[in-house]
Amino acid sequence: MKLRHERRGGGLALLALLAALLLALGAIAAGCGGDDEEGADTRTAAEGGGGGGEGEGEPIKIGHLSNCEGPFAPFYDQTTGGAMLALVQRGAEPAGEKGSDGVENATLAGRPIELVFGCSDSTPDVAVAEARRLVEQENVDILVGPLSGAEGIAVANYSKERPEVTFVNGIAGAQDSTLKVRSPNFFRFHADGAQWTAGLGDYAYNELGWRRVVTMGDDYDFPYTQVAGFVAEFCSIGGQVVERLWPPLGEEDYSSYITQIPEDVDGFFLAVGGTGTVAFVRQYGELRGNLAEDIVGGVFMTDPVIHKELGDRIVGVVTAGMTATDTGRPEWEEYANALAEAYPALEGTGSSVFAYGNYLAMEAIALGLEEVEGDLSDNHSAFREALANLTIDGPLGEVKLDENRQAIMDNFLQRIVGDTNGDGNPDVETIRTIEDVDQTFAGFFSPETPSPDRENPRCEKGTPPPWTQQGGGGE
Amino acid sequence: MSQGADAALPLGRRLRLLTARPVELAVRILAVALAVFVLLWVLAFADDALAREPRTFIVVFLNGLTLAGLYFLVASGFTLIFGLMRVVNMAHGSLYMLAGFFAFELQQDFISFDPTQGFGPPPVSTLDWVLPLLIACVAVAAIGLVMQQVFLRWNQGQDLRQALITIAISVIIADQAIAHFGGIAEEIAAPAVFPDSVDLHVYGLTYPFFRIFVLLVAIAVGITLWAAIQRTRYGMIVRAGVDDRQMVSALGINIQLVFAGAFFIGALLAGLGGVLGGTMISVDKGNDTQYLLFALIVVIIGGMGSLGGAAIGALALGLVDAFGDVYLPAGYTNYSVLLIFGLLVLVLVVRPLGLFGRPA
Amino acid sequence: MRLNTQEALRWAPGAIGVLVLALAPVLFSEFYVSAVLTKALWLGIAAASLIFLAAYAGMVSLGQVALYGVAGFTMGNLVAADGGSEIALNPWLAALLGLLAATAIGLFLGAISSRSYGIYFLMLTLAFAVLTYYFFAQVTELSGFGGINNVETPGFIGNPIADPFPLFYLTLGISLALYVAIRYLARTPFGLTLQGIRDEPDRMRALGYNVRLHRTLAFATGALIAGIAGVISVWWNTRISPGSVALPQTIDVLVIAVIGGLFRLEGAWVGALLFAVLDNEIRGVDVIGDRFNTVVGVIFLAIVLVSPGGLMGIWTSATDFLDRRLAGARRGREPAVAGRSPANPGSPPASET
Repeated sequence: MKLRHERRGGGLALLALLAALLLALGAIAAGCGGDDEEGADTRTAAEGGGGGGEGEGEPIKIGHLSNCEGPFAPFYDQTTGGAMLALVQRGAEPAGEKGSDGVENATLAGRPIELVFGCSDSTPDVAVAEARRLVEQENVDILVGPLSGAEGIAVANYSKERPEVTFVNGIAGAQDSTLKVRSPNFFRFHADGAQWTAGLGDYAYNELGWRRVVTMGDDYDFPYTQVAGFVAEFCSIGGQVVERLWPPLGEEDYSSYITQIPEDVDGFFLAVGGTGTVAFVRQYGELRGNLAEDIVGGVFMTDPVIHKELGDRIVGVVTAGMTATDTGRPEWEEYANALAEAYPALEGTGSSVFAYGNYLAMEAIALGLEEVEGDLSDNHSAFREALANLTIDGPLGEVKLDENRQAIMDNFLQRIVGDTNGDGNPDVETIRTIEDVDQTFAGFFSPETPSPDRENPRCEKGTPPPWTQQGGGGE
Repeated sequence: MSQGADAALPLGRRLRLLTARPVELAVRILAVALAVFVLLWVLAFADDALAREPRTFIVVFLNGLTLAGLYFLVASGFTLIFGLMRVVNMAHGSLYMLAGFFAFELQQDFISFDPTQGFGPPPVSTLDWVLPLLIACVAVAAIGLVMQQVFLRWNQGQDLRQALITIAISVIIADQAIAHFGGIAEEIAAPAVFPDSVDLHVYGLTYPFFRIFVLLVAIAVGITLWAAIQRTRYGMIVRAGVDDRQMVSALGINIQLVFAGAFFIGALLAGLGGVLGGTMISVDKGNDTQYLLFALIVVIIGGMGSLGGAAIGALALGLVDAFGDVYLPAGYTNYSVLLIFGLLVLVLVVRPLGLFGRPA
Repeated sequence: MRLNTQEALRWAPGAIGVLVLALAPVLFSEFYVSAVLTKALWLGIAAASLIFLAAYAGMVSLGQVALYGVAGFTMGNLVAADGGSEIALNPWLAALLGLLAATAIGLFLGAISSRSYGIYFLMLTLAFAVLTYYFFAQVTELSGFGGINNVETPGFIGNPIADPFPLFYLTLGISLALYVAIRYLARTPFGLTLQGIRDEPDRMRALGYNVRLHRTLAFATGALIAGIAGVISVWWNTRISPGSVALPQTIDVLVIAVIGGLFRLEGAWVGALLFAVLDNEIRGVDVIGDRFNTVVGVIFLAIVLVSPGGLMGIWTSATDFLDRRLAGARRGREPAVAGRSPANPGSPPASET
């Protein structure tokens, strides 16, 4: 007789355990529900010295949301380190080797700062679940984050449900989070993926003489935005994009996609990022030879981690982004040195957009709070007003916001060159600085234009942006 | 129980009379038609493409072939373990991934990085590649052996429970890999004596040397395994064990030793795949899922426990994978996963136990 | 009367459990109800679809999350949402179509895999599950990596983030209804035949039953139940992406079912509650906070090694022990309770390979 599940009577009674568990759960829940205010979370930064700090008044709780799993996990320490740096520069002490260890004795505008860290895996579901945990369970006043494109759009949408919390984007670069969603309490103090390409299309067309190109990027929101920026500029001055290839995010064998790049094009725009860049570059070398002559690169090509991995294989590649190491600005040196001092493991990663974007976010929060003297009353209205009108005199120039609370800032066109500072890694040489690039890309994008995707924007000749040669800009 | 059965009989009969044959038939016809359609579609495009762009076709074909080599390496270990012990090692992909990470870390330790020597990866001597390969393979094989001895040996025959145990282990390994091997996808550097690419002497094409090397290794491993199973005493015992474990034990052979050996070799093959794959493509945290899936598909197609089946299955998967990415109509290449699905369905409808599978 | 006391003892905790859940909005914070309890309930439904298949049909499937993904993505594409197709149907109708899609796909996959037993079946459904993930990850017309966001929910549910209670009560109601329905189904001729096939497929075939058809229909039923979980999960999240139906989620549901008890229907919700509570509590904890999956993996391993019957198995052993003590006190008037713990639930029937 093997009918294991034929049981006499009272089968339903096994619901019993459910109840026992629930009662236990009730105790836990009551505990956690009630303790929030006291900061039950062991990772709150003020715990170490908050009581004895010079801060007066109610603490302000800031949540930080980034990725410690998934394809962008390698950049986790850069995101947390960058964000903490703005606090460290104001007298806080790092509580450990990593940004995610928090800081001690942090105060802003005289109010002690408590920190809570959240961690997602680059999917919008987990990002929103974590954002909800930070906002609704940990009761943060301000949330910094997230990291990746699709997450950013989802969190921006979620921010509309929580008007009492202020959201400042970490480093998620999809265009829609500010241009389309336009949540009144969501701010982004760094350029989006399209802004980061400013100058590349012009360079490819006018300097390299390219007319027919292919684009290649991972198949999701952020590369869509990068390709959108490149296509908008390159096509507006007469270039043609003959094909857009989209290997799935997480693909590592790119050989089949490299094979599909027609041999009769002038070159291609590479927006493969995250974990795929290294594999792509190597495989391209094996199949088609020297990559540097054939591509202009997206923002991942400006990343110091990628430089370190790829070394001489990418020397000569021209790329663009919101960070450049050779501007010579003293503020930049100060920033990069402070980052390395606070977090030695991050030495040499100052030009990482992951660190820089998060730094700008926390810097903006600090400046905003200082301006309103820590006043978060009336649903942060004074604070938000201050943020909206803020001009950060950042390490790499001014950052200010447009009416969608999206940054307007400089972009740097740069060439990867051999090692110039003796650290064994390639360095960059800025070819050109394009000033005050805004999200509309000089009118090309608006809330009414279709969201960047596999086919949009279309490749059409149009009004060239002012920084292109055809638009009257350039050297 | 008999009471229940009696009560249900009329319903069962009714259902059977009404629908059994037509449903079964319809499903079969549908599945076969779908698969044939897809195949024809691909062939039509591929054929056309061969004439138009022979260069692309040849490269894609080689991509598929070399991928098949890698898939075979991974699947052969998986199928060997299953064939002998009826253990579905769901941590096989994790072993693959671990070997890649081990070899990568070891190689980083071996190559001294001197900033004054210029930049970029320094040249890798043959030893800097072979030694990490060997150590990583043996380490992973040892992990596999420990796993078998500690967790699987005492519950032989409870195959579902064993599968669940290996799933639990794979969850732990995956999470620990995230904790300890943070970083972007890395590549294990091939020895400097290997050229980057070789000249194919057709249409002026060159092709990555290491991919061809992996294919050759896979063929060599396949032949070795086949010979070992057919020609050696150990192979004889393994074959006998696959057919009748009890009988083999009864003959006084220490079947536990044979099991341990098979698990060791199976894990070793996963490790070899991991290091070769890590050099050919890259080492990354998602590899465990990916290569577990590949191993599953290969053995489902080829038949569990069959070495020849693994070879055929790997070939089918590799080629469908490579061609699907390129030769579906423009704009639909992202549907290529449906081709793999179609392949699976086709095989299962025709032969539920896989092409070379036999009932246990 | 003594027997009645014993019965009442068995029933009481379950009744209290349901009561506590019914009063949850008073007892717990809004966030807790939404992020932990509602989630636990729909995860429980997903696990129940697996337990239904495992316990009554002997089919341990790893395809349930993929099937709930099919329902979720179908619905997401059919209502007003960001991403996916442009179609915008009534949310209830879309949910219904989502369930239909999941059932249809379940019928198809069931027909294909119904000839496979035991671990073959497990492997096959796992392969289907991962392929489904890749399908939705790659086909940007239907989803793509970012998935479908801001999915419109039915008016009754409204915005589950702003007001979580309607969805919570709906999920609670559906969970109870499904529990009763599955218990009932197990006692119908169809359910009894399934259990017969689970134990003795060859004998049942010899008796004239169409084994494959029954297993196919069982799988389709499981797909329907999983689809319900999928639809609710999309309402709860207001979004679905391939990341919601990837291998980690597949394993989560397996872990829930195994922790609860792979062969006890109640185990689905018990395991899900434990899982959701752990998930929420551990994330905030230092050191192990980032390593939640290791914790889950270790618990999972421990359960499989020590008590394959899961928590429900432990519970049964405990109550059996209590029963025997009570029975002993009554001078052995009742025969000892035997056969209550599942017989080696770790292995499928011998005839299945």
